[in-house]
Amino acid sequence: MNQLVVETKNLNFSYSKNKKDIEDLELKVPKGSIYGFLGPNGSGKSTTIRLILGLLKKNSGTVSLFGELFSGQSRLKVLNKVGALIENPSLYEHLNAIDNLKIAANYRQNIPSNRIYEVLEIVNLTKAKNKRIKEYSLGMKQRLGLAISLLSNPELIILDEPTNGLDPKGIIEMRTLIKDLNKRLGTTIFISSHLLSEIEKTCTHVGIIRNGKMLYQDTVASLKESKGTNIKFEIEVDTPIKGLSVLKNLKMENISLLDDLLQIEVKNKNEITDVIDVLRAERIKIYQVSIKNNLEELFLSLTEN
Amino acid sequence: MSTILYYTASLKNELIKLKRTFAFWLTIISAVLFPILFIVAYIFERETLVPLAGINPWEKFMVTQIENSTPFFIPMFIVLITSLIMQIEHKSLGIKHLFALPVPKSSIYFGKLSIVILAIIVTYVYYYIAIILSGVLLGFVYPDLGFLNFPPEHLRYLKMLMTSFLASFGIIGIQFWLSFRFKNFVIPLGFGMFLAIIGIIVSQAPQLSIYFPYSFSVLSVSLGDKMPLIFGISSVTIFSIVCFLIISIFGYFNIKKLNIK
Repeated sequence: MNQLVVETKNLNFSYSKNKKDIEDLELKVPKGSIYGFLGPNGSGKSTTIRLILGLLKKNSGTVSLFGELFSGQSRLKVLNKVGALIENPSLYEHLNAIDNLKIAANYRQNIPSNRIYEVLEIVNLTKAKNKRIKEYSLGMKQRLGLAISLLSNPELIILDEPTNGLDPKGIIEMRTLIKDLNKRLGTTIFISSHLLSEIEKTCTHVGIIRNGKMLYQDTVASLKESKGTNIKFEIEVDTPIKGLSVLKNLKMENISLLDDLLQIEVKNKNEITDVIDVLRAERIKIYQVSIKNNLEELFLSLTEN
Repeated sequence: MSTILYYTASLKNELIKLKRTFAFWLTIISAVLFPILFIVAYIFERETLVPLAGINPWEKFMVTQIENSTPFFIPMFIVLITSLIMQIEHKSLGIKHLFALPVPKSSIYFGKLSIVILAIIVTYVYYYIAIILSGVLLGFVYPDLGFLNFPPEHLRYLKMLMTSFLASFGIIGIQFWLSFRFKNFVIPLGFGMFLAIIGIIVSQAPQLSIYFPYSFSVLSVSLGDKMPLIFGISSVTIFSIVCFLIISIFGYFNIKKLNIK
């Protein structure tokens, strides 16, 4: 179970001499995981992906895929098990979807021709298969790029910002598709994103990178636990000032008012009910109670100095 | 999987990529351009071009046409067609995708290079068919021009085109590497056009320009019988092929090591 599909050790890379773009990066992607690679724009996510795929020459360190060191000799064997979508998909705009898939299938060889129609169906592009890519929207291009990376039924799929340019419906479809592939075929999926919410909803593992350095790497579950046990939530009431003073009398700490919403921090979920009971006893009307996502703050505190 | 399979897959794909591109049409447009000009010229200058009795009109028609068009036009054409074919890849951000596939980089580089050479050969073939057809057409419309009374000496003219093609090999290697290496098409295009013009100018001094690949196309015609021979073969042909081989091999190793951003 603990087999690593992608592993980098002391990975270093720089585009120019005076700045290190990737510094001592230790990436560990377990087999069968959905690994979210998170970081702000320009933090080195795409550079790391290019290093993993051998598109950039690393300055030092090692990259291993499927337990095998990535080198000139192992390159073809290793890449055979990988499907990748790097930043904007590489598509021939003057050709249609079928031709684009045919080209990718020819290169990979041993891909039956009905697989082309299968992947088109998976990404929901069957209706647009004869349209030229020129006429595709950004979201459709992104989906076709994904279809190309799915062609060979790879054991590892690398997706660089796959939800870029997708509308909300497309994002949800992409999320479902990724989870489904992982569940049904056990495909390991490596996704980079600058959106925490995206990673949180899809991934089992997370790595957070900033300025080319890995800041945090573990399962998403332990990331959530690591930020203390306190729960922050906010309540919308008809009379926030009154509510505030009522709760202050309760001797609760960490109560404040922000945009007419009561902000409260408690130690466990049961205390939320207590707070509601106190407010209701004073006949204060409650319109909504929502638990605040503290991952967002964690992400900001990790990535902003 | 053997290298041959990778190479043929790469060739097949390059042909698919050429579908509906300007590069594809350029081969046809370039081939018919000069034959059309010559038809027009023969129509207007017909009086002076009627051959004397017993003289084969094809000789003048073919030789003036080939000698006046290919030396200057072929280098420009090669610069343009290599840039255009490589732009298909650069425009689609294809190189990062291709180099992340389980395919040897050599099959991609040499597959594409083969297609560029094929496109140039095809243009020569179209061109030859277009000149012959234009001669026959003139013969039908104006029987006094005598094109239908004599057969053209195919072998002689094909040999001329072959010499011109081999003399261009060197710049195919250079232009292809430049077009592959630089995403920005202005670099290979500007560089190539500039050198092609320099090549025409310096071909006036054959002692030096015999080592300058961009002059070979002109020299292969202008030197005529004065062409220095190496082992009985035109030295321009030899230099051109050597230049092609060196640059192609160097180009491949350069591309192989390149960081794909």
